Amino acid sequence: MFELKPMLSALWRNKISALLIAVQLALTLAIVSNATVIVQDRLEKMARPTGIAVSDIISVTFMPVPVNYDMAGAVAADLELLRNMPGVVDATVTNQIPLSGSGSASTYFTEPNQEIGGENANYYQTDEHFIDTLGLNLVAGRNFTRADFDVIGPNDTYEPRVAIITQKFADVMFPGEDAVGKYFYSGGDGEPREIIGVVERHLGAWPSWSKAGQVAFYPLLVTGNHKRYLIRTEPGQRDTVYKQIEEKLAERDPQRVIHLDTLSKRMAQSYISDNVMVKVLSAVMTLLTFIVALGIIGLTIFWINQRNKQIGVRRALGATRANISRYFLVENTLIAGAGLAIGMAAAQVINHFMVNQFSQPVLSIPTLLVCALILLGVSVTAALVPAIRAANISPAMATRSV
Amino acid sequence: MLKMHNIRKSYRTDTIETHALRDFSLQVNEGEFVSVTGPSGSGKTTFLNIAGLLETPTGGQYLLDGEDVSSLNDRDRSRLRNEKIGFIFQGFNLIPDLNLFDNIDVPLRYRGFNAKERKKRIEKVLEQVGLSARAKHLPAQLSGGQQQRVAIARALAGEPRFLLADEPTGNLDSLMARQVMELLEFINEWGTTIVMVTHDPDLARRAHRNIQIVDGQVSDLQHGTIGAAREIA
Repeated sequence: MFELKPMLSALWRNKISALLIAVQLALTLAIVSNATVIVQDRLEKMARPTGIAVSDIISVTFMPVPVNYDMAGAVAADLELLRNMPGVVDATVTNQIPLSGSGSASTYFTEPNQEIGGENANYYQTDEHFIDTLGLNLVAGRNFTRADFDVIGPNDTYEPRVAIITQKFADVMFPGEDAVGKYFYSGGDGEPREIIGVVERHLGAWPSWSKAGQVAFYPLLVTGNHKRYLIRTEPGQRDTVYKQIEEKLAERDPQRVIHLDTLSKRMAQSYISDNVMVKVLSAVMTLLTFIVALGIIGLTIFWINQRNKQIGVRRALGATRANISRYFLVENTLIAGAGLAIGMAAAQVINHFMVNQFSQPVLSIPTLLVCALILLGVSVTAALVPAIRAANISPAMATRSV
Repeated sequence: MLKMHNIRKSYRTDTIETHALRDFSLQVNEGEFVSVTGPSGSGKTTFLNIAGLLETPTGGQYLLDGEDVSSLNDRDRSRLRNEKIGFIFQGFNLIPDLNLFDNIDVPLRYRGFNAKERKKRIEKVLEQVGLSARAKHLPAQLSGGQQQRVAIARALAGEPRFLLADEPTGNLDSLMARQVMELLEFINEWGTTIVMVTHDPDLARRAHRNIQIVDGQVSDLQHGTIGAAREIA
């Protein structure tokens, strides 16, 4: 039915062109499948839940002009002002902006004076409003109270007494246990920090960090030369509130430089390299697939032009139009199948190298198969138009002398 | 076997209409060996194409083996070509990438025979044309005469009732041409109806009947035995 044996035999006698297309397909599959796995990884990374009400949050950074500035007083007054603005849900003070790519981290231990075997976590100095402001979900224990909150100078030595941590950090520090009520320690010291609460999720400062999501929060204000606020607005009110904040803060205290941003924008900036990578790789994949499709169309047209007479003879001998189309489609599928089989092996070899040398994600067999099937579909589709054209060659071609 | 009545075939371009066949009527009886001659451009190939269902006539009626085939669809025409008609072409038209066995196998596959049946038929026709030992050779490895014998074997493998030969000896030297002609005569003796287009008057005279086409019409019908045909010529 499919003339496989004579078809393979004919292909073997025209192996150079067939081989070129097969190699092109093999390389395309090897590149496209590995690019797909990178794109998938980046897309998954960008789509991870942050645990934060990102789209409703505005960040404010301010730097006072006077040297002896009452930072604690200014923070208290600003927060009071911000929380009472129409459209604002809550506001908090923080040492860093979440998801911004800028933050602080430390190594923590479960035993005092332990120096090895610790776990890294991003940490924030904030107040009892941070859960509501960020829209976090407290899954165990309690929030901070005003009594937990301390204010210290930038050069003061101080160890927080209590902390709230993320579930992810709790799981690595105390696997399978309830973290609330347990203590942990910063590197090299023996001062215990009691875990009083656990929030479900907070991605932290660096979305690309391997420990992203391991976060600790302390009820603390360290006065210094600048401070940051996070303001959560009612849904849909962010842009309206945004326009008013700078004016209100400047009105309350004009002796400072104020910078505003939305958390959405800060997060997008953090993911910019991932976004660029996704776009570039997607463009490369599309271009390669397009080139391979053009190659197949070109080769199929070339073969059909070369075999016009032969097609006419086949038609004269009883081939239907469907027989002719099928012949070229099956022939193309055989070439594509061989190329994709080689490509699957090549993809695995390249991925092995990428995983070992560049810590890229592992290419799964289902992903590889889906890529191979898509390329096979592209290949068959590319051959379809020339194959239909071949089917329309008249059987009378067999009796033409030229 | 073949009955054409007032067949017309014209080819039209934007500015010109060419009448290749005009009111062409002809009957070929079962078992006949008919030669068709005529000058270049007279319509011989058009007649052959229509007779072999390679082209459809512009008008008129064509009965093949009692069936009106003038208005069959492409699929049915393909089926009839495969089942009832064998073709022998001037340029042999073997598929160069396939060996002799696979070349002869081409129409049998379209017929839907199973592998065993196809093998049996291919071996039989290769033996009939004396090329059994060359089954795995490529066409390019054979002489012109041998290639034409393969083409005849391919035409015969499906056991057609009607064989159409287009200048079957046109590309052969006289010795090869004689061998091929003898083979065709032999095939005709088995009962296969043959219509052969040729330029060669000597070959034409060997047929039961010679038809001359001039300007798309049958200009001269000569009935009789081979001997009578030779005599008339």
